[in-house]
Amino acid sequence: MKQVTTEPRWKETFKVAWPLCLSYTPIGIACGILLHAAGFNSILAGLASVMIFSGGAQFLIAQMLTVNAPILTIILMLFFLELRYALLGSSLSKYLQGENHRFIFTFALSLNDENYAVNYLKFATDKNWSPKDALQVEHWSLLFWSVSNVIGSLIGSALKINLEVVDFALTALFIYMIVMQVRSRLSLIICIFSGALAAFCLIITKSTLGLVASTLIASFTGYAIERYLTKHKPNSGLLNDLGAAGTSGPVVEPLEKKDESDSIL
Amino acid sequence: MEHSTLDHLLLIILGFFVAFAPRYIPLLFFSTREIPEWFNGWMKYVPISLFTALVVKGIFISKTYTFITTGNLVLIIGAIVVILIAYFTRSMAMSVIVGLITVMLLSLVI
Repeated sequence: MKQVTTEPRWKETFKVAWPLCLSYTPIGIACGILLHAAGFNSILAGLASVMIFSGGAQFLIAQMLTVNAPILTIILMLFFLELRYALLGSSLSKYLQGENHRFIFTFALSLNDENYAVNYLKFATDKNWSPKDALQVEHWSLLFWSVSNVIGSLIGSALKINLEVVDFALTALFIYMIVMQVRSRLSLIICIFSGALAAFCLIITKSTLGLVASTLIASFTGYAIERYLTKHKPNSGLLNDLGAAGTSGPVVEPLEKKDESDSIL
Repeated sequence: MEHSTLDHLLLIILGFFVAFAPRYIPLLFFSTREIPEWFNGWMKYVPISLFTALVVKGIFISKTYTFITTGNLVLIIGAIVVILIAYFTRSMAMSVIVGLITVMLLSLVI
C-alpha cells in the first residue's frame, strides 16, 4: 500500500492545475509571438504576463499596438475588458471569508478566468479545498503562462509566423469559455442575443465601448428574464439544463418537453 | 507614431492597475459582507455576454468597425469546429489547438 496522507500539497495542487497549465502553454506561446510582433522584447513580454496575467488583455494590447493606438485608449479598453474580474472575484469571495487582507491581496494578484474556473469548481465540490490550495493553483498557472509567453516572444523573434492565424487563438479561447458557460436554454438565447447586439453596438459606437454596452444590456436582460421566469413560470423550459459544463460529455435532453405554465394557475 | 520601449513599460504598469483593481476591490469588499442576490444573478450572465461580444468582434467586425461579410469564411468554419470540439471534449487545449490548425490549413486552401 502507498502512503495516503503525506503527499506534499504542491503535488496535490499541481494535479488539479496541470490540465490548465498544459492548455496555457500554446496560448501563451501564441500571445508571446503577437507581443513580439507588437514590439515588446522578451523581458517586457515576461513582465506583462506576470503583472497583467490575462490572456485576453495581453492579446488586446498586442492587437492595439500593431495599429498604433494611443496608450490611454488601450488602457481604457483594458479596463473594460478586465471589469469582468469584478464578477469572478466576488463570486469566489464567499470561499475566502476569514482570510486576512494580505492573503486576499496576493490572491487577487494572480486571479484569472481559467484558474477561477478550476478553483470555483474545486471549492464547490471538494470540502478539503482550502484558499491556500487555490492560491497554489493560481501560481502554477501564472508560472506556465509567463514562461510560455517568454518562449513565444523568443520564437517570434526567430521565425516568421502568420499572425492572422495566431490571432484566432484568442477567439478560440473565448468560444471555449462560452461553450462551458452555456448551461440552460435561456443562456443559449442570451448568448445569441448578445452576439447580435454586440455587432450592432460596435458598428453604432465605432469603438470598443460597444462591447461594454452590449455586455451590460445582454447580461441584465438575461438576469431580468431569469428572475421573471423563476417567479412567474418556474416550470419554463427555458430554465432547463442543457447538460451542465464540467460533466463528462454532453447530456442528451428529452425532446418535446413542453411546459406551458397553465399547470400552476 | 511608433511607441518606444518606455511607452510599452508605461503601458504594462498602467495595465497592471486596471487589471488588478477589478480583481482586488470586490474580493476585498465581499469577503466581509454578503453578496446581494441580484448581483449573483446578474453575474451569471456577464461572462457569456462579454465573451460572445468579443467573438463576434473577432470574426465579424473589421478594424474600422464595419460588418465583415466576405473573407471571413475561414474564421467562421474555424469557430464552428471550436464549438464542436469544446462541446464534446470540454478541453481548452484541444479547442484552441484544433481551432488554430483548422484555420491554418483552411487559409492555405480558401
